[in-house]
Amino acid sequence: MDTKQTKIWDIFIRVFHWSLLATFSITYLTEDDFPTLHVYAGYTMMALIALRLVWGFVGSRHARFSNFVVKPSAVIEYMKEVVQFRAKRYLGHNPAGGAMVIALLISLSMTLLFGLLTFGASEFSGPLAGLVGGINGSLANIFEELHEFFANATVLLVALHVFGVLVASFQHGENLIKSMFTGFKQINQDDQH
Amino acid sequence: MKNMTTFITATGVIGLILTASLVMGDDDKYERNERDEGFLSQLFSKKTDVAPVKNAVYKEECGSCHFAYQPGLLPARSWKKMMGDLENHFDENAELDKDTQIALTKYLVENAADDANYKRSRRIMNSLSKNDTPLRITETPYFIRKHDEIPKRMVQDNPKLGSFSKCAACHVNAEKGSYEEDDVRIPGIGKWDD
Amino acid sequence: MKKKIVVPLILLLSSHTIMADAINDMFTQYQQQGVSNASEQTGKTLWNKKFTDKKTGKDRSCTSCHGVDLTKVGKHVRTGKKINPMAPSVNKKSLTDVKNIKKWFKRNCKWTLGRECSAQEQADILTYLKNQ
Repeated sequence: MDTKQTKIWDIFIRVFHWSLLATFSITYLTEDDFPTLHVYAGYTMMALIALRLVWGFVGSRHARFSNFVVKPSAVIEYMKEVVQFRAKRYLGHNPAGGAMVIALLISLSMTLLFGLLTFGASEFSGPLAGLVGGINGSLANIFEELHEFFANATVLLVALHVFGVLVASFQHGENLIKSMFTGFKQINQDDQH
Repeated sequence: MKNMTTFITATGVIGLILTASLVMGDDDKYERNERDEGFLSQLFSKKTDVAPVKNAVYKEECGSCHFAYQPGLLPARSWKKMMGDLENHFDENAELDKDTQIALTKYLVENAADDANYKRSRRIMNSLSKNDTPLRITETPYFIRKHDEIPKRMVQDNPKLGSFSKCAACHVNAEKGSYEEDDVRIPGIGKWDD
Repeated sequence: MKKKIVVPLILLLSSHTIMADAINDMFTQYQQQGVSNASEQTGKTLWNKKFTDKKTGKDRSCTSCHGVDLTKVGKHVRTGKKINPMAPSVNKKSLTDVKNIKKWFKRNCKWTLGRECSAQEQADILTYLKNQ
């Protein structure tokens, strides 16, 4: 069998991916106990996401949103194929993976936004302090609840993401986790883009 | 590679915008107070929550009837006002001889929250408007917000406590300048669990 | 320094030189203001006497904070802060600093009695406190 390898994930995508995981883990683990570190890690995530958004428009082929963002109907169609073990193999993000990218970016952004709002409302700190500092206590609590909600939603998405990666790896006989480190994937004849 | 160039340019532009806004935002544009330090400076500060009291005269004179509140917990204007009316110190007479009064006022003003690079000082200042001159730390919006989930039975109606003014009664490390939530032990109740 | 009856008596009774010095100083000043006799019993009565606070109508006395038994730790009636025992027999630092004696007399008489204590009253109270 032809085991030709090709570079799929560029260096930015790989560094971004694992950095995001590391900083998210730090925020999730430090939360109440190490507030300063928690906030630093949060700001770092904001920078990472900002860069990813730019890269999604000017980056390498498989990094661009245009490469993998598809209609919801296509995502559902793809999921059906997965369940039936007849999903096609994609070199870059498959439709479900693409949807996961968007879902995670949204979930993380909401977590970060409500984090900034909580920081401002309850701690009178951060860039939004001037906006929401001193607001009603119940509203401040709502910000905090939403911050926690989206943080937990992100954890759920991460779990689903890992599950999806394992399923796809199994179904197509490849190690997708390794690929996210090396950047290389095997090329087969009937691959999708 | 075209991609690389674009990426480097994009990163550079974003980096420049971020740095510029952080540095300019360091002016505390929303002008809640007269300080120069914005949130960027807040990322780099000392270990304890507020500068502990090192002045022996202050501890002796102002800590003999109540907890020696750290100067970093109120703005300079509040301390000036208080020290100018010691005969009427919360319905008590706290008069001092002239020299001591002048020396302590100087100590308080120099170590007030306005310019202190400590977490609680900054946040208390952030929570006050320009003209707010609270005489009670417990009246600052920051303090209120941090204590607004405590039921009355634990403080006001707690026979072992009675008021929020007795910082050291619950905050076991208050005298060191530390007010971490984990160190709170409410008399007759115990740890604060939220 | 010329002293009258009171001071030599105190010198005899006291064994603490520093304290005796501070008290001596105070008594010298009282003498200069016309005090000739000081009584421990009068001092004790004054110490325990109840006065009414004009604003709240509530009772207050020296014992409100310092207690009746001066060898015990006192408690600030409002803040709850612990106050070291007044009794020199238990608290070596009590009554050893003229500045402090003056300061607390001024503030606390104003609080308790609503006015400053006269030289006579201070002499009586000091005589009482000294022997606790």
